[in-house]
Amino acid sequence: MDTIALETRGLSKRFGGLIAVNAVDLAIPEKSIFSVIGPNGAGKTTFYNCITGFYAPEDGEILFFNKSLVGLDPNQIAQMGIARTYQNIRLFANMTALENILIGQHHLLKTGWIEAILQTARMRKEETNALSEALRLLRFVGMAGLGDQTARNLPYGAQRRLELARALALKPRMLLLDEPTAGMNPIETMEMMRFIQRLRDELEITILLIEHDMRVVMGISEHIAVLDYGVKIAEGTPSEIQGNAQVIEAYLGRAATAAA
Amino acid sequence: MKRHIRNGINAGITFGIITIFLFMIGFTTTISDLLGQLLQNGSSASVLGFAPGRFDLLVFLFFIGMWAGISGSKKTPDERESWGTVLAASGTAGLIHGILVGGLVLLVGSLLKAGVSMTVYFAQLLPDAIHLFLLGLNATSGALFYVVFLLMTGLIGGAVARTIRYGALGQNIAGWFKNKWHAFTAWPQYQRIRHNRPALFVVYGILILLVILLPQVLGQYWNYTVGTVGIYVLLGLGLNIVVGLAGMLDLGYVAFFAIGAYTVALLTAPAPHHLMWSFWVTVPIGILLAAFAGIVLGIPVLRLRGDYLAIVTLGFGQIIAVLLHSDELTAFTGGPKGVAAVGSPTLFGISLGTPEGFVYLILLGVVLVIFVTIRLRNSRVGRAWEAIREDETVARAMGINTWFHKLLAFAIGAAFAGLGGVIFASRNQFTGPEDYNLMVSFNVLASVIVGGMGSIPGVVGGAFTLKGLPEVLRELENYRVLAFGALLVVMMLIRPEGLLPTSRRKMEIKEIHDPDEKAANGTSGGTT
Repeated sequence: MDTIALETRGLSKRFGGLIAVNAVDLAIPEKSIFSVIGPNGAGKTTFYNCITGFYAPEDGEILFFNKSLVGLDPNQIAQMGIARTYQNIRLFANMTALENILIGQHHLLKTGWIEAILQTARMRKEETNALSEALRLLRFVGMAGLGDQTARNLPYGAQRRLELARALALKPRMLLLDEPTAGMNPIETMEMMRFIQRLRDELEITILLIEHDMRVVMGISEHIAVLDYGVKIAEGTPSEIQGNAQVIEAYLGRAATAAA
Repeated sequence: MKRHIRNGINAGITFGIITIFLFMIGFTTTISDLLGQLLQNGSSASVLGFAPGRFDLLVFLFFIGMWAGISGSKKTPDERESWGTVLAASGTAGLIHGILVGGLVLLVGSLLKAGVSMTVYFAQLLPDAIHLFLLGLNATSGALFYVVFLLMTGLIGGAVARTIRYGALGQNIAGWFKNKWHAFTAWPQYQRIRHNRPALFVVYGILILLVILLPQVLGQYWNYTVGTVGIYVLLGLGLNIVVGLAGMLDLGYVAFFAIGAYTVALLTAPAPHHLMWSFWVTVPIGILLAAFAGIVLGIPVLRLRGDYLAIVTLGFGQIIAVLLHSDELTAFTGGPKGVAAVGSPTLFGISLGTPEGFVYLILLGVVLVIFVTIRLRNSRVGRAWEAIREDETVARAMGINTWFHKLLAFAIGAAFAGLGGVIFASRNQFTGPEDYNLMVSFNVLASVIVGGMGSIPGVVGGAFTLKGLPEVLRELENYRVLAFGALLVVMMLIRPEGLLPTSRRKMEIKEIHDPDEKAANGTSGGTT
């Protein structure tokens, strides 16, 4: 609980005059479930894009197990062990479920193009192993039998789970989830919450979560940080955040604070 | 400002720049000549009261204008846009496009009238080219004409795009043909052969035997035609890697074909260098040079996507064409006259320089290229390409080095084209700049799209359709190109996925049902 998996120091990202992320300091302990919440447009997804290397922050430092991520390409960051899912599911739509998972394993495989043409024994062994690993992940997310379905034809819930399986195929040390329970009914939401806890407990993956559903956030997070207009306005345990006047104001406006 | 208007402005500016650029490099003149040949001129143009060149130019600009409108009205696929927003967006695109082009016309026209010679700065801005572009009008009315013309075509483009996307007519026609196709694939005989291994082997065996015997039976003309189709298959398979697998729209593909052809020509011909190398030595050199050119083109365009990539590669293809035409380089490339007496292959003293010999050589090349493509496709590299095509951003987030894999796709695609070029020049025993015009790029791209992007049988089928069918349609004489164009349009409306689209590999089923075979074969099994 002492090692810090991911740390940001004074992280800032501007778009023209808009400061989407403003000097955010965060320290996410290893093997914790850490939520980032905030009203729409608070800069949560921008924060993710800075961590994963898609946006270059103007200012600040991002450390992943004490190694700086600033200036690295997204693929290098993924290879270091940060995998993510998307708010609006982004699968490789015309490829099968298994192929999607195999792509997640890309950086763990070594076959180059010459070996692929020659089809060496090593390459075949690697592919066989990759396929059995993909099938294992498919079962792990409860999708056995759907492996040959094209991703776009899968039902919504299965698409969400497939996206998780693809992220897990990277063998990440940290998983960034962007609203994983969006569009789910209460039962599915409960299942997803248990699943996220399993990822942390069994696979020992640090979880960073963006979520709007407060039952999910309060139910599974150990720490919560609140962003509003790009600024971190509060941080603490779920019970601390629930009683924080500034947070209530950010969500409901000033009148609500006065009433409370 | 509303999003659709902003889209329209973006598209208008982009296409305005494109049209101006095309005019500056003299492309508008080239294409109107080319269209003039295709449309057989005279009759249709004079009926409408146009001078031939002007009519052809307008046909071309009509399509560019429509494209601007279509591009401007593009929105997210899940939103169903209303007629109002489509027309507003495509109209904005058309208007901006028109204003930019009109402004250029006004400027160039006035300068010409004032007697300023612009060829000093832009070699292609000959008075004739400008007169053609002005359509015989003076600068002001020419400018006004373009504003109105491009606005109208933009609106038409938007309307066409919306009709195809949502219109009842478009959907009905597509639905009818889709049903027919499903009925055919569900046909029991078809299913039985498709899923019966021995039967498939017999079918393949007969096909291979036919392939070996055929060149001996066919006459010279048909051998030549089959050879031409084969070379297009080579080109198509190469472009298939770039466009079909990695999803990068490359319109300058002919450049790599030209590099392969000129390599063998310059190294084996008596003039202009008198090197007279053996054909076989030049094959790997041609392939490597083409692959290298692929990388050289690839590096600057790595960041570009979609329409922008298409335009830059188009420019690259044109640069190669211009260089080959150049008088300055005559001493090196043979200039406009080309290179004659290109060497032909011999094997153990037997000349393969006959039409039959080349058919075998080409078939060998095609088999080799198909083999390489299948192996790459079913590997980690092929998966990375497809991931880039599906969603480049996510591919990067999944740890794929998109930079490396895009360059690799360019290099391998170019290498295949280089091989095609080597065989092409040697077979013709001559190579000249006219063989490498833009139409080659378009034809190859069309064969990939018609066949089915990413699918190997699709590319082969597409090349046969595009290069073989026109030969068969010779009966139709002058109308064959027209009939053929109509066929392509209908085909794209009713079956946008292509004639023989890819079927995904079924890996889970295979793993569960025959694990023994899987262990024995590794991952070599797979559909194409």
